[in-house]
Amino acid sequence: MKALFSAAAFSALALSATAGIAQTNLTYMMWGDPPEIAVWEAIVGEFEAANPDIKVKVEVSDWDSYWDKLRVTTVGGNPPDVFAMDAPLYPDWQSRGSLLDLSPYLAAAPETLDGVYPGPLSAYQLSAGTFGLPRDFQTIVLFYNKAMFDAAGVAYPDDSWTLDDLRAAAKKLTIDKDGDGQTDQWGLGTELWDMEPMWGPVLYSYGGAPISEDHKKTTLGDAAAAEAWKFLADFRLNDGSVMSQEDLESYGSDGFLAGVAAMTFSGHWVVPAYSDLAFDWDVAPFPKGPAGRATLVNSAGIVVSASTPNPDAAWKFVQFVISEKGQSKLTELGFAIPVIDKVANSPVFLEQKARGNHKVFLDALAYAHTKPSFRGYEEWSAAVGDTLALVWNGEMTIEDALAEIVPNADAALAGNQ
Amino acid sequence: MSGVGVRGAERFWVIVLLLPTLLGLALGAFGSIAATIGISLFQWDLLSPARWVGFDNYLALPENRSFLKALGNTALFSAMYVPATLSISLVVAVLLNQRIRAVGLFRLIYFIPVVTSPTAVGLVWTWIYSRDKGVLNAIVTTFGGEPVHWLGSDMALYSVVIVNVWGAIGEGMIIFLGGLQAIPRDVYEAATIDGASRFQQFLAVTVPMLLPSIFFQAVLSTIHAFQAFDYVYILTQTGNGGSSLPMLVFNIYREGFNYFRMGNASAQSVVLAVIVLGLTLVYSRLNKRWGQHG
Repeated sequence: MKALFSAAAFSALALSATAGIAQTNLTYMMWGDPPEIAVWEAIVGEFEAANPDIKVKVEVSDWDSYWDKLRVTTVGGNPPDVFAMDAPLYPDWQSRGSLLDLSPYLAAAPETLDGVYPGPLSAYQLSAGTFGLPRDFQTIVLFYNKAMFDAAGVAYPDDSWTLDDLRAAAKKLTIDKDGDGQTDQWGLGTELWDMEPMWGPVLYSYGGAPISEDHKKTTLGDAAAAEAWKFLADFRLNDGSVMSQEDLESYGSDGFLAGVAAMTFSGHWVVPAYSDLAFDWDVAPFPKGPAGRATLVNSAGIVVSASTPNPDAAWKFVQFVISEKGQSKLTELGFAIPVIDKVANSPVFLEQKARGNHKVFLDALAYAHTKPSFRGYEEWSAAVGDTLALVWNGEMTIEDALAEIVPNADAALAGNQ
Repeated sequence: MSGVGVRGAERFWVIVLLLPTLLGLALGAFGSIAATIGISLFQWDLLSPARWVGFDNYLALPENRSFLKALGNTALFSAMYVPATLSISLVVAVLLNQRIRAVGLFRLIYFIPVVTSPTAVGLVWTWIYSRDKGVLNAIVTTFGGEPVHWLGSDMALYSVVIVNVWGAIGEGMIIFLGGLQAIPRDVYEAATIDGASRFQQFLAVTVPMLLPSIFFQAVLSTIHAFQAFDYVYILTQTGNGGSSLPMLVFNIYREGFNYFRMGNASAQSVVLAVIVLGLTLVYSRLNKRWGQHG
């Protein structure tokens, strides 16, 4: 495979040499689904039209193989010139010297950041420099199936909803249709292993936080968090209205899409798939907790390899992706929210083909916390998620789990200093 | 090894013909073993330059909780898997060594799991074990029992051992069938004349004459047990890419590739290799002592 690529690159080189044009070849690697390839090809097409001397090759892999591929190509000394980055993992890559500092380029072209949302941007601005830019971002909101609400005679969620309203509605929406003693429709079907869709926002809306501001201490066991955990554990385990991980897996990991869950917490990334659903659905803000309303915002970033032979061309591509033109094209995908306010507040985003009230996602920025991002994030989140999974399965109490989670998570933090 | 002696020009050709394989072995297998041992003495996160730490990675292992948990799981798994695989595949091989109808078909059926994709089979077993919609719990509830969480933390180990044993019977059966066919008929005839029952023959003739095969298969099973990954991971994976029953190989992968700790992961690999090597030596001792009197 690699031999084939380099052979192709070589012949391309030979061709351009004979044609007498100095051409720069870039590779852009990202995680994603097959439909995203076509849109990125279109973005690249526009970029190449404006920069005839640069050719960009887009490589898309699924999430898991993406990170393996990135590690292997980086270790092998052949990393992609430009690649996608998940904001929480950014410090892990940045601190190991694998990303190019974009500060000099930004200093020369400060207008690049005009209108970029400060929240998502802040995750990339470190004291050492800015080694990446947000490419697009996600906020978590509540999705609900209108048909199921109508059938159960429950009022649609709105911005007055509290977490207790959510729990009461979920219970009413949980139905054993054929009376065989097994639930056929759940009130809520949402992933609970990662903090992003549900437990993170709930934690913040109870006044808690997953980790201290300086990222040195896990705060999941603090007093403020205890009430949030109690709510989550009771909701998941006592009501029978929240799908278990096993339930979710038997419905392709998405009970809302499968039409067996009346509500789910998710980001804009599900919107393209949900647009094809036969039933009517809409979105509402994340319900309020005792300490106010909260949700999480997380971004996908775009970064340049520290060892790229063509940093200038790579920067031009990054700049184009962040530009109004690039962002408008990217918004057509429907997977995410554009990072510049001009595009986000334009019909390109708000009146896109994909269904849903897109403004709810955008408005969520006002009450969103940025998903924590620090060195060792993956190990920390495994230390938390591995044990938390036992709680959601009903195999361990939340108190016992936290007694195990906090020291393990703190050890992971200490090991990554 | 006694056999055909190799002399002069023939020796030259033997070396020439073996060279490609030997080179592959030297670079592929021994090269990566040497590299693993080397890396285990460094702190290396894949991305930044490696730093020499001597035996620190090894000294840190006794305090590494995820390693200890994975080691414990793997040891328990092996302690059940190896004897179960050996005894069941031995019984199956003996039964399928009889003159029965359609014996080829039965042998094929037992061998099918060996050549099927673990991913596909793992998914089928996930469905069998599923708590609410699983086949097994459908049977349990029909008889008035409470649904069992087969892949929950209490039962997962046993459930996973069963799948792995099921998947390995075919391989053991082939080895044992080979061994059985090498036992001369007249030994059994002599035993029959001496008045030995079928069961006595099994204990006094079949098992001792099969000992070399049994030891060989014991070594293979132990290696498989310590390297168990595919079924275990598919059956016990959690949403965050973790596993409710982490095994050594899974832990090594996660430590190295997900947590950026190649040196630590290599040290764990070396410990794993030493354990397997140690057990192999024990088997080989036992084989020398008891397996050679045939």
